[in-house]
Amino acid sequence: MLVRFWGTRGSLPVALRSESIQAKIAKALVAAGGRTFSDEAAAADFARSKLDFATFGAYGGATSCVEIEAGDGSFVICDMGSGLREFGLDSFRRIAEGHSAVYHFFLSHLHWDHIMGFPFFGPAFNPNATIIVHSGHPDAEEALRRQQEEISFPVPWEWLKARFEFVVHAPGESFEAAGLTVSLTTQHHSHDSYGFRFESGGKAVIYSTDSEHKVDNMASEAAFEAFFRGADLVICDTMYSLGDTASLKQDWGHSSNVVAVDLCHGADARRLVLFHHEPTYSDEDIQRMHNETIRYEELVRGESRPLEVICSYDGLEVTV
Amino acid sequence: MEWTVETLGDKLVGKPTGRVDEASWELFSESLIDAVRAAKAAGASLVVDLSSLDYMVSRGLRALTLAKREGDPDTVVILAAPNERMREILHISRYDKMFKVVDSVAEAV
Repeated sequence: MLVRFWGTRGSLPVALRSESIQAKIAKALVAAGGRTFSDEAAAADFARSKLDFATFGAYGGATSCVEIEAGDGSFVICDMGSGLREFGLDSFRRIAEGHSAVYHFFLSHLHWDHIMGFPFFGPAFNPNATIIVHSGHPDAEEALRRQQEEISFPVPWEWLKARFEFVVHAPGESFEAAGLTVSLTTQHHSHDSYGFRFESGGKAVIYSTDSEHKVDNMASEAAFEAFFRGADLVICDTMYSLGDTASLKQDWGHSSNVVAVDLCHGADARRLVLFHHEPTYSDEDIQRMHNETIRYEELVRGESRPLEVICSYDGLEVTV
Repeated sequence: MEWTVETLGDKLVGKPTGRVDEASWELFSESLIDAVRAAKAAGASLVVDLSSLDYMVSRGLRALTLAKREGDPDTVVILAAPNERMREILHISRYDKMFKVVDSVAEAV
């Protein structure tokens, strides 16, 4: 399985402003310390090896959209955030190279940041495309149709050319889709959200975003540990600090990095991906959160299996 | 984890020993709630003496939040004498912004 991240930001798309880019350049120049480079490739090699990710790279700002390459050769996509636009364009390229034009979407929920990419999803206009939308929500079709209405967008649903199919699934019942075995679980979030477990060839990937693990309902976390059990990769909502989720941002429907680590330890999972980054966070903030999460995992590991902590960014690919 | 309680001056001091993890967080939470209720009834603050605690996971931290809520605005919950590991955990979780953290029980009482 290959997991490709097209959008990793929570709630609202963000873009780097010029002052952030200027700060990265200035930091890189200071790190170079007067070195000279024969060409841009040599400079890039230096930067890649000597600079931290927040300086040489960027976490990106597109909202939730994650692709899983596995199964029967169809496209498999979790959520339709603003990262979906880039995925759609890339899928045209791959279809031209012989890829199937069948798209299986799995929607965690229907909030704006998780469906806002759909009006810009070019393959919806491809008459040869089949788009199957899997959801735990019976109103998924209504949500997608509604944002095509004139008050929100100039292109009505009726202009779309692809063949659409909406499938509602019950939590706890596994099913086969795109050559994968899939199951879902209900999560605490406004209007509910659903976490998905994808299994293929003895590997398991979890997509669990927009899921609040309530301070006053910790006993319920055993069910999530069971759902995550033995997973090779767990993509988790880690938008806030634990302190935020227990105070100001309680009931905002999101979770923390430290709870994600504890759930993965309890589930004997192998790798955790930090996901759904807070839109006000700078690249330095996200990198700090990543480093702190790695450290927290070391501090509380006890007898648990070591957990690799990966921080997602737009463009990241992880082989499972 | 083991839990003991004693009164020092006008403060109630609860002391967990060992670690608060998946196996022990419920006992820790129940003990904390009992202690904060006792402190509230006595009009006292609760000091959690962390000097013999190896570490706690997020469920232990969240148990601290539940204890704080169980009290009233006058029932202050103070965290005392965390080891270096616990200090890091309190910082990473940002619980050092939610609770008063002091270097020793003596400083708390």
